[in-house]
Amino acid sequence: MNMEQEKLASRIIDYIGGKLNETDKQLIEQELVKSSEAYKLYEQLKEVMQVMDSSKELEPSAKLRNDFEAFLRAETEQGKKSKTVFFSTTWYKVAAAVALLLVGGGTGYWISQQNRQQNELMALQKEIEETRRLVLAQMNNDQSASQRMLGVMAAYESVQANKPDDEIVEALVTSMNTDSNSNVRLAAVEALSKFAAEEKVRKALIESLSKQKDPVVQIALIQLLVQIKEKDVMKSLKQIIDDEQSLPAVKDEAHAGIFKLS
Amino acid sequence: MKKQIVAIALLIISTGVFAQEFKLPKTSGKLLISEVNNVTIEGYDGKEIVFSSMDGIKEKDSRAQGLRAVSAMGLEDNTGIGLSVQDKGNTVEVYQMKKMDGPKVKIMVPKGVTVSYSHTSPYGSNIRFKNISNEIEVSTVHNSVHLDNVTGPLAVKTVHGSIDVIFGSTINNPISIVSVHGPVDVTIPVSTKANLSMTTSYGEMFVDPSIKIEFEDQGEWKKYGSNKVSGKLNGGGLDMKLSSTHNSIYLRKK
Repeated sequence: MNMEQEKLASRIIDYIGGKLNETDKQLIEQELVKSSEAYKLYEQLKEVMQVMDSSKELEPSAKLRNDFEAFLRAETEQGKKSKTVFFSTTWYKVAAAVALLLVGGGTGYWISQQNRQQNELMALQKEIEETRRLVLAQMNNDQSASQRMLGVMAAYESVQANKPDDEIVEALVTSMNTDSNSNVRLAAVEALSKFAAEEKVRKALIESLSKQKDPVVQIALIQLLVQIKEKDVMKSLKQIIDDEQSLPAVKDEAHAGIFKLS
Repeated sequence: MKKQIVAIALLIISTGVFAQEFKLPKTSGKLLISEVNNVTIEGYDGKEIVFSSMDGIKEKDSRAQGLRAVSAMGLEDNTGIGLSVQDKGNTVEVYQMKKMDGPKVKIMVPKGVTVSYSHTSPYGSNIRFKNISNEIEVSTVHNSVHLDNVTGPLAVKTVHGSIDVIFGSTINNPISIVSVHGPVDVTIPVSTKANLSMTTSYGEMFVDPSIKIEFEDQGEWKKYGSNKVSGKLNGGGLDMKLSSTHNSIYLRKK
């Protein structure tokens, strides 16, 4: 049955049912007169419709219904069983979910890893900052010489792990020149000896020698400057020898220094 | 028997009268003692700093009766024992009225108070510290320093004097003991964990056989004539720096 026929059939059905308007009715009648094929179709459809009309009064028998219901039940049973088959859609869903979880988790882990590295780096930087702040604060604790001494040692340690740090070196120079306690100044000299390769530090050490009044620190400075073979210290050493206030032990050290350096 | 008790009671009363005292309530902060020639400082479980004269009965200057002692620094004897004690809140400053000689003083210090002693004049006697479990700072030019049963932290320096330290059972970081001309003599518990550094230019260094020093690796090139010993005691720990430029260093076990 092609499209034309189908269309024709539906028209004929409507014609039989009396649902067409006048113009369509006439068209169909003309068609039925013209074509024997159409008429044949008309005859068949009319018969079918008559049967359908009469069958409306027929109720399916109880047995038929029972049979059908039994069949339906069997069908549903079978349908249920089919769910346990391995590659059912449910399993695909589960597999997809697991895959998604893995991919998602993996991506999340990677991101968190990146974040953690970032955070660790930042924490480390913060820690260094914090240490520096604490160290500098400790070096300025005017209540306790031992705290300042620990600060100087911590400054020394903190720079040991990194590159010489201007702020720390400056703080050490300030401690060496201005701290009220000789033991602290001595510790600062010792800490600075580690950066004696730096031109700035050597200059600060030479300058400090003329500022120091305590023989303990003077001697330590002379010994350090001689050890690093700093010839520019000669003038300061001569000044110490000529200074009447210098302690003989300091003068001795200065003499020894001049002897070793020249 | 009765007579004896009365005699003892009289003795106690009389010493109480003649051993003059000055008390200052203080449980924390810093005690700054400057230029006090003859002093012993002791730690104790109290709540006040107690200054007492150890001179006993001295002949009073009858001419000075009713007058007050003043000094070139503008200080006044407010203790009755020849000391000026000034409470500045967090710090207490102690000066001696006389430049030379002066009173023989004992100062009892509560545990929470740290002591800083400085002395520069050539008129001093030895300075003694006893039973102090807190930070001590000492800076002298001529005086010798004796510390007995102390824990540190210590920052002790003298130019001409000797330094004798006997530590208690624990030691607190850091320890720095420096003399230019005097010997440095230190007694520590054998179990002390420390990063030890000993320096002398013209002296020698002596260590008890039971104190084992793990010497720092000097590498392939050994430095002969080096005047510094660096090493760890019991794996390392607190910083302990001992130095005597012209004299020797002695490290003993307790």
